[in-house]
Amino acid sequence: MALFFLLPLVIVFACSLLTRGDYGGVEQPWTLESYLRILDPLYLAIFWRSLWIATVATALCSLLGFPLALFVARAGKRRNLYLQLVLLPFWTSFLVRTYAWLFILRDTGLVNTVLLRMHLIAGPLPLLYNDGAVLLGLVYNFLPFFVLPVYAALERLDPALAEAAADLGARPWPVLWRVIVPLSAPGIMAGAVLLFIPCLGAYLIPDLLGGGKTVMLGNLVQNQFTTARDWPFGSAASLVLMLLSALVLAGLVRSRVARELL
Amino acid sequence: MKSHRVPRRWFLASAGAALGCSQDTRPRLNAYNWSTYIDPAMLARFESEHGVSVRYGTYESNEEMLAKVMTGNSGWDVVFPTHSRLAPMARNGLIAPLDHKRLPSLGNLDPRFQRPEWDINLQWGLPYMWNATGVVYNREQVAEPRGWADLWNPALRGRLTMLDDAEDVIGACLQKSGAPFGSIDARQLQTAKADAVRQKGLLRAYLNAEVRDQLIAGDVLAGQLWSTTAAQAMAASPKIGFVFPIEGYPLYCDCAVILHESSRYELAHEFLEFLLRPDVAAANARVGETATANAAARALLPHNPVLYPEASVYRRGVWPSALPSAAQRYRDRLWTEIKSA
Repeated sequence: MALFFLLPLVIVFACSLLTRGDYGGVEQPWTLESYLRILDPLYLAIFWRSLWIATVATALCSLLGFPLALFVARAGKRRNLYLQLVLLPFWTSFLVRTYAWLFILRDTGLVNTVLLRMHLIAGPLPLLYNDGAVLLGLVYNFLPFFVLPVYAALERLDPALAEAAADLGARPWPVLWRVIVPLSAPGIMAGAVLLFIPCLGAYLIPDLLGGGKTVMLGNLVQNQFTTARDWPFGSAASLVLMLLSALVLAGLVRSRVARELL
Repeated sequence: MKSHRVPRRWFLASAGAALGCSQDTRPRLNAYNWSTYIDPAMLARFESEHGVSVRYGTYESNEEMLAKVMTGNSGWDVVFPTHSRLAPMARNGLIAPLDHKRLPSLGNLDPRFQRPEWDINLQWGLPYMWNATGVVYNREQVAEPRGWADLWNPALRGRLTMLDDAEDVIGACLQKSGAPFGSIDARQLQTAKADAVRQKGLLRAYLNAEVRDQLIAGDVLAGQLWSTTAAQAMAASPKIGFVFPIEGYPLYCDCAVILHESSRYELAHEFLEFLLRPDVAAANARVGETATANAAARALLPHNPVLYPEASVYRRGVWPSALPSAAQRYRDRLWTEIKSA
């Protein structure tokens, strides 16, 4: 099993240290050049941009996902139904769901048509092919990854704790901030990591909803293996991406909340 | 056709070689082609006429096909690279030369493709389908463009698209300023990049075949597009028009080649000879509404000036060749700079 996971990684690592073949593939000699190229400001900017977008997407998901998880956890008998609804989008393909957003957001799409019919806007809003659309796609697709661990943490939370805080005079808002959120922090951290890592490597959503106008890490890697025919650089970039993800994970493991979780 | 006529995002999802294995003992030919490039009924006819089976797979970009073929034991016999890939594939020993004695119907080819500049003696590839890149526009809302330069018109802001393809976008920017499509001159390329970055502010997006629906819906008013996709949009909506840019434009021809690794050299030739038949070539061209290189087949097809530009327009077209490795790499970098701008 370990071999099954490690072998492809070893091959990617070897590729990243070789020289680019003229028409794809890799050739001798061994070199560190691909790694040095990542330090080029052009590519560093792409790394930075991906980190930034993934961070914003994670923040947005937390804002939307926490109340949702709380709502589901407190839904009593309907809890399972709501949980199923959160997971419902996973029943269709990721690609199909992302294409569906194209039809919702485009000029003659659902949102613009409805707004135009209601005379709320004079012309179609530019909803598609910008960072907003990319963020929407990321939040929409990865929200369940955040909701599930947070829900699990909230569900285990003893309702008596919140009740005790209220009995001792805390208003609902302080109860939430000072009792519920700290106690569910491990779930929030786990959810944030589960969300952040796929956002960092996303390439389909920036391509489809961003209209190819931005480059994120995933697009950079994909392009190296296709049109640019530069396998070593693609391999090096994907390994650095992995390293970034691993650092985020390591940060979680070392944090105090994680120790409570484990 | 050219790399990713259909979005490259499908490259992971493509059907590829997953057609499974049959249990029959008939000899088997393995053909790997672009999607919508063959009429399935023609494959069935070849199978029954020759008492063979055909394993048929499709791909969406040259790179996807090359990645498999480069291994030298891909299991395919016949593949269909774009003309510019023939020379590098031949140099790498990947393809076997054609035996003209086994291809008596070569005369059916359009005279333009009897001695094409990229393979003057038809030594490596049999020209199959061809395609151009030009300017598509909405005839009701935009004055007829003359060339690439019209794609920098500020009036098109937000309703203009370019292809999501480095070679085509940089090439169009070069031709706009009078430089050759395949220029490797650093100064010309820098000018082209600056133009592309300037144009990006007006662009709705970089889109390939998926722009078709938005053209028909009227969301997009003008853009850079492949003639085949434009012809499909024009068939769906009379308000769409297509022009071959005055500054020049690229032409692409996909060619059938027999792989060096193939152990079915004779059967592969029989397949190529079959593809040369006028009725077969016409049926295959009808499936994807593509332009056939077969003149005898064209006589069976309706005339379409977008798929088959008249002689004076055709002369402005250029057949791009493969770029040297260093130039390719420089362009990749420029493309990343354009996309990150």
